[in-house]
Amino acid sequence: MIGRLSAIWAQVELGLAAILAVSITLLILLNVVTRSAGAALFWVDELAIYAMAWMAFLGASAALHFGQSVAVTVVTDALPQPLQSAAAKLVDVIVLGFALFMIWTCWRWFSPLELARNGFDTAAFQSATFNFVYAEPTTTLGIRKYWVWSVMWLFSLGATLHSLANLLGQTTVSEESVI
Amino acid sequence: MTPIVFAFKLLLAVPVALVLALTAIFYIWESGNTILYDSFAQKMFSGLENYGLLAIPLFMLTGEMMNEGGMTLRLINAARVFVGGLRGGLAYINLLANMFMAAIIGSATAQIAVMARAMTPEMEKEGYDRGFAAATTAAGGLLAPVIPPSMMFVIYGVLAQIPIGSMFLAGILPGLLMSASFAVVIFVIGIYQGFPKGDWFTKRESLRALLYCLPAALIPLAIIGGILFGIATPTESAAIASLIAFLVGWLVYGELKPQSLFRMFKRTAVNASMIIFMIATANVFGWVIIYEALPQKLAALITAFTRDPFVFLLIVNLILLCVGMLIDGIAAVILIAPILLPIAMNDYNISPYQFGVVMCINLVLGLLTPPVGVGLYIASSMSGAKPGQILRSLWPFLLAVALVLVLLSRFPWLSTALI
Repeated sequence: MIGRLSAIWAQVELGLAAILAVSITLLILLNVVTRSAGAALFWVDELAIYAMAWMAFLGASAALHFGQSVAVTVVTDALPQPLQSAAAKLVDVIVLGFALFMIWTCWRWFSPLELARNGFDTAAFQSATFNFVYAEPTTTLGIRKYWVWSVMWLFSLGATLHSLANLLGQTTVSEESVI
Repeated sequence: MTPIVFAFKLLLAVPVALVLALTAIFYIWESGNTILYDSFAQKMFSGLENYGLLAIPLFMLTGEMMNEGGMTLRLINAARVFVGGLRGGLAYINLLANMFMAAIIGSATAQIAVMARAMTPEMEKEGYDRGFAAATTAAGGLLAPVIPPSMMFVIYGVLAQIPIGSMFLAGILPGLLMSASFAVVIFVIGIYQGFPKGDWFTKRESLRALLYCLPAALIPLAIIGGILFGIATPTESAAIASLIAFLVGWLVYGELKPQSLFRMFKRTAVNASMIIFMIATANVFGWVIIYEALPQKLAALITAFTRDPFVFLLIVNLILLCVGMLIDGIAAVILIAPILLPIAMNDYNISPYQFGVVMCINLVLGLLTPPVGVGLYIASSMSGAKPGQILRSLWPFLLAVALVLVLLSRFPWLSTALI
């Protein structure tokens, strides 16, 4: 169950990351065109950077599913088989621990309960907590930055899902899905 | 405790990016600054808010397009026009084609994968030793991150907060120097082993080969020209290059299918996000480096030993060689640059460009040295030669790079003259 969920979600992440990669390319090209036409669009750079950050966090979470991360394997490769799988399990536990930590820090950062307690009034929330996460603006896009930051939630939850599936040994990576 | 936790996780094969993040988490907990946890995720995100990083996915995309678009063979054919008839012609073709490719591709492993598949069978067919063929190709791949564009220089430029375009320019002379040293190595080996004779193209064939290569040559022109003349930022020139690569591969060569575009974007997204994510976690790891004052402590240690920048760089070279054997390429740059660069700049007055060139070439060498040598293994699996067999022919090339490194450490102008 968790294995299937992890596989499906990884495909979604991958698809979204690819679409973001497309948008980065188009945005930068748009920038080149408008600038050489003497009518540069001021918001393009910021949007492209956020698209890249989203791509990176979604891709990094998917990489946990596909087991594609960069790691130093010189010691573990030399271990005898039983120790090797024990080490791999330990890594799974550590990654899951990290993913849960990320959820926790996102929780502390966005403080959803506190926000609800203040009736979703961000001004009241700020004066009560001195947490300005909901006040921070983006420089040129005209939206609040927490919309952009929300990818950290997606990353944390995705990483938790994938590392849990890895730990339970339910991750199935089919040939075609690794692209 | 923190260093032990760091080393343990690193050697346990926890993904490098997570090692950085987890070390920071542990360090914060140990030092009691737990208030930092509240801004942990934000700090990770802010590490990516950098315009220069956008060049990474775009240069990767260019490489993908070039690969699928059938440019490799045309570049090799063009190289044949210039050096094909020399004794040992194919070995020089290999080197020259690698130089062309390096001006399009920015990653050594990507280039080795492509070139090992294209060049080693052909060299073997003409009577070269398989190990030597693979070794020449692998060494040629080292040019990819030195001759612009370069993924490693982008990362280094972002970490060092210097203009990436200037960093690219700093790589040109060292790249040519490396190429020349490889040519000397091939020549000397040829004297001992005796290479097969090469054939020159006829005039007609030469013209054809050059004509076919011309559209592909637009890409390095767009990248280097755009940066050199200040027309485009490295990020913009990367986007233009990928557009040209797409159009040439699709419309001119007719080998790139628009249907496969999305697959290429997927591959680009995955590969780029692995590197970019490392930058995000390196940003929280930066807390450890700053609060522990690692550069200052290390600087006190090294300055007590020498005041001479050249000796310092030699020491750094030795350290990096060891690091490069364990941790490959970009991950090592992300780990090492924030610690050593401040020492180089503040205590020894070394130009960040010179330091970046020396450091990146040194760490890229690690791609070809066991026990962790991704480039070596890729060359091996693509060519069918055993890693040991490749290494037997590879060491003269590695020695040549080491000599170049000494020169680059001694003469700063080799890196800074073009900036």
